[in-house]
Amino acid sequence: MVNYYNPATEGTSNQPKFDVNKDYGTPASKSTETVCIEIDGVTLTVAEGTSVLRAASMADINIPKLCASDNLKAFGSCRLCAVQITGMRGYPASCTTPVKEGMVVTTQNNDIAKLRRNIMELYISDHPLDCLTCSSNGDCELQDVAGAVGLREVRYGFDGDNHLDAKIDDSNPYFTFEPSKCITCSRCVRACEEVQGTFALTIEGRGFASKVSAGTSDENFMSSDCVSCGACVQACPTATLMEKSVIEKGQPEHSIITTCAYCGVGCSFKAEMKGEEVIRMVPYKGGKANQGHSCVKGRFAFGYATHKDRVTEPMVRDSIDEEWRVVSWDEALAFSANKIKNIQAKYGRESVGGITSSRCTNEETYLVQKLIRAAFGNNNTDTCARVCHSPTGYGLKATIGESAGTQTFESVMKSDVIMVIGANPTDAHPVFASLLRKRLREGAELIVVDPRTIDLLNTAHINANHHLPLKPGTNVAMINAIAHVVISEGLEDKNFIEKRTDEYNAWREFILDEVNSPEAMESITTVNAEQIRIAARAFAKAKNGAIYYGLGVTEHSQGSTMVMGIANLALATGNIGREGVGINPLRGQNNVQGSCDMGSFPQELPGYQHVSDDLLRGKFEKNWGVTLDNEPGLRIPNMFDAAIEGTFKAMYVQGEDILQSDPNTQHVQAALSSLECLIVQDIFLNETALYAHVFLPGSSFLEKDGTFTNAERRINRVRKVMKPLAKYADWEVTQKLSNALGYPMNYEHPSEIMDEIASLVPSFSQVSYKKLEEQGSIQWPCNEEFPDGSPIMHVESFPIGNGRFAITPYLASEDRANKRFPLLLTTGRILSQYNVGAQTRRTANQTWHKEDVLEIHPNDADERGINDGDWLGITSRAGDTVLKAKVSERMQSGVVFTTFHHPISGANVITTDSSDWATNCPEYKVTAVQVEKVTSPSDWQTRYKKFSAQQKEHFKRSPKKEKTTIGR
Amino acid sequence: MSGTQIKNLVSMLNQIANNNNYKKTDEETAKIVANHLQKFWAPSMRNKMTKYLADDGPELTNVSKLALAQLK
Repeated sequence: MVNYYNPATEGTSNQPKFDVNKDYGTPASKSTETVCIEIDGVTLTVAEGTSVLRAASMADINIPKLCASDNLKAFGSCRLCAVQITGMRGYPASCTTPVKEGMVVTTQNNDIAKLRRNIMELYISDHPLDCLTCSSNGDCELQDVAGAVGLREVRYGFDGDNHLDAKIDDSNPYFTFEPSKCITCSRCVRACEEVQGTFALTIEGRGFASKVSAGTSDENFMSSDCVSCGACVQACPTATLMEKSVIEKGQPEHSIITTCAYCGVGCSFKAEMKGEEVIRMVPYKGGKANQGHSCVKGRFAFGYATHKDRVTEPMVRDSIDEEWRVVSWDEALAFSANKIKNIQAKYGRESVGGITSSRCTNEETYLVQKLIRAAFGNNNTDTCARVCHSPTGYGLKATIGESAGTQTFESVMKSDVIMVIGANPTDAHPVFASLLRKRLREGAELIVVDPRTIDLLNTAHINANHHLPLKPGTNVAMINAIAHVVISEGLEDKNFIEKRTDEYNAWREFILDEVNSPEAMESITTVNAEQIRIAARAFAKAKNGAIYYGLGVTEHSQGSTMVMGIANLALATGNIGREGVGINPLRGQNNVQGSCDMGSFPQELPGYQHVSDDLLRGKFEKNWGVTLDNEPGLRIPNMFDAAIEGTFKAMYVQGEDILQSDPNTQHVQAALSSLECLIVQDIFLNETALYAHVFLPGSSFLEKDGTFTNAERRINRVRKVMKPLAKYADWEVTQKLSNALGYPMNYEHPSEIMDEIASLVPSFSQVSYKKLEEQGSIQWPCNEEFPDGSPIMHVESFPIGNGRFAITPYLASEDRANKRFPLLLTTGRILSQYNVGAQTRRTANQTWHKEDVLEIHPNDADERGINDGDWLGITSRAGDTVLKAKVSERMQSGVVFTTFHHPISGANVITTDSSDWATNCPEYKVTAVQVEKVTSPSDWQTRYKKFSAQQKEHFKRSPKKEKTTIGR
Repeated sequence: MSGTQIKNLVSMLNQIANNNNYKKTDEETAKIVANHLQKFWAPSMRNKMTKYLADDGPELTNVSKLALAQLK
């Protein structure tokens, strides 16, 4: 067993002196030059550019401060950090005074003490004296500083003009703004600008009248640009901005570091607890992915974990027309094992399969695929990466030899030109977007290749940006046109190409073909050729050019081709193998990188080791003690087809709502209804579970130990902060199911599963829980060659030796707009909701996005007489649904957009089974549709409502307390 | 054998061929396609296509036919 360990209190071996829980007052200096100074008689050597405040703090000389924080630039407004410096007049603020060689500083004497007391006295003369009943009692910097300076009286009294009657704004569901407690230090305003990059807050008025404002006429946070990231709440030194959960329940008493279970950024959080209850999630400064920042999902939307809808008892039924029967774990597992065995006896070994979860831990995912391969005896395993980033796996493996992003997130701070293709980071990867925006404010140039005017283009204080608003489905035409400009104008990196790549000449000949020129491609991409040329030149001429991309690249019929096109561009411009550059897939779910690494795909064992390779497979056979199938298994869409055909009869689905998330819903419904046994393991009775025969209650990320791997290949620890509500963590359930099937698994702790993974996967060979605890996190590969992990990949060479250029001709999507379906639908996500919404819909994030809407350009709306809020029927060749209209100029004419966060929307009733040629990744981003005004829901929605209500009845009427016996 | 499944497999197969035929002879493309099927398709899917080919495979392109003929 691994002992409980908390890096927040114990530090790391690499940086034993730096305490991530301490606020050093101003940011660290990046200078490599050092300066020697003396503070209170202590001689110190610190980096040039360090503030006196920070230097003192590093020596544990803690100067009082209120407006300073080490994640914000020095501001110098509170004056509490005043010091005396030999040779300088008066009392300079130590936060805004950089160290100088030979400087002699005094931080404490009677004069300084008097000054600080006087300042505090003024602050407190306009502050309510309700400390004992105040929500920040026990966690208040103002109170601490008053104590530190020895404030004993307020000579001015409290009768003068003050702000004590200022009205509380509780419009945000997660925190309150209580201006009477504000000291106008402007930390919140600066956090909103410098950390989050939204610029929603401001200081309004001057002098005594100055106050923090959300800048709207309604004077509240909800009506402002605030995205509820929580940075201001964290920055506030008083109770002015405070989590409602703390107001309601009081200060937490202990905290545990863990990893967020939302997107692929993989933020580290302190789960601040009272007993087993999470009071708040606070972004952890020691987390290397997020560096102390957060978004509305990870910071606030964790209430789903204890929502009343959690199903905590196993249930079974013989048919989906029956009510559920609550049974014991043993009964549910025996029931499942019998069904699987009987089905395999009747229909053959290949008739069953399973889906691993990209929301579960690496260890859990590894176990599910192991169960499928070893206990089911086939390779019918797949994961939700099939429907998001499978083309990344294929395309990057073919060109640079490894299915993963090449950089750290931090690398973006060294980029000069940043190209974002088919990704919407401010909504889908918000914490990374904040870092990216920070770099843009420092002057980096932005190129956005996207049909929509995404919010990143509206970044405040941005120097230069290019938007290439291409028509959906024409990515490959665009990337070829960009590469054509690079090569035809001689802007390629000849040295890199010669030393680090193969197959250049054939590609060069292909890309120089006139059909690939921006002018020739203009009619396809609909983007002005000169605009493409300007952007291409900017990218090629940049010292460091980085490419970030998302599902707008992969979810196309040419998804894999596009990924290879991106790799071609990075290779041709020499933008690989150092900081500031690289190919960066922005992964959707928290552990989608991990689920791919862990062997979820049917053709690959863990570590992307192909099943047909006898040597590699042999290693697993020996370790697992079974003979493994040497042929690829079925992918998710193939499983559906085989189910409808009648050869695929049972599925084990862990933590994945395939019915709502996969395309062509009616096809998925038909497939799931054809199964004789569907086992769903989830925290909620999700949409897929409506078709299930066995429901095994899952555990949330708060209820287990394990690891997630984020989009930068960073393996982060997930730590158990409460007991599993349904008794077992997901890995324990899989293990029990395997044992019931007769294939023994006996792990005592997830660390033992990781040890097994390390013994079988070369790029994980030196990963262990011990090392994770020492280093905080590890970016794979972590092996003999890179014992501390690999922040930047491909520095010297590629796993395949040289990088390989791929020939990437553009082919039009088969689903094209025509007379019957004249518009193109593209689907995506918004900030407050996550994926199918099962988690976020069960939190106050609903306040921001209660329903999915159809965004349509004013021209297309006018043509059809559509106004905001009208009900619209959307029809494609796959099906139809009804959504409310939102007329929006974010869209280009001819393109409509919606999200799939709510099941009733039926967004995926419309998407088709068109898919990527290499991986079967569905083409969510291009569906030809017609849109018209209607007055009633679609037939599908009516049927769905009826079916859903019926299933709820089956669930509700299940005898919850008295457990029934199977077969009674 | 369901019509939809065959239709999907045929269209997937032809799609692989169309994405790998740049300045290649049908034989060269067929080799790439056959290799792709071997590496990424479950045997049951390949078998369905070889059976379909044996039944004349009306919707298959020439390259797809050549590729299927190469399968072990």
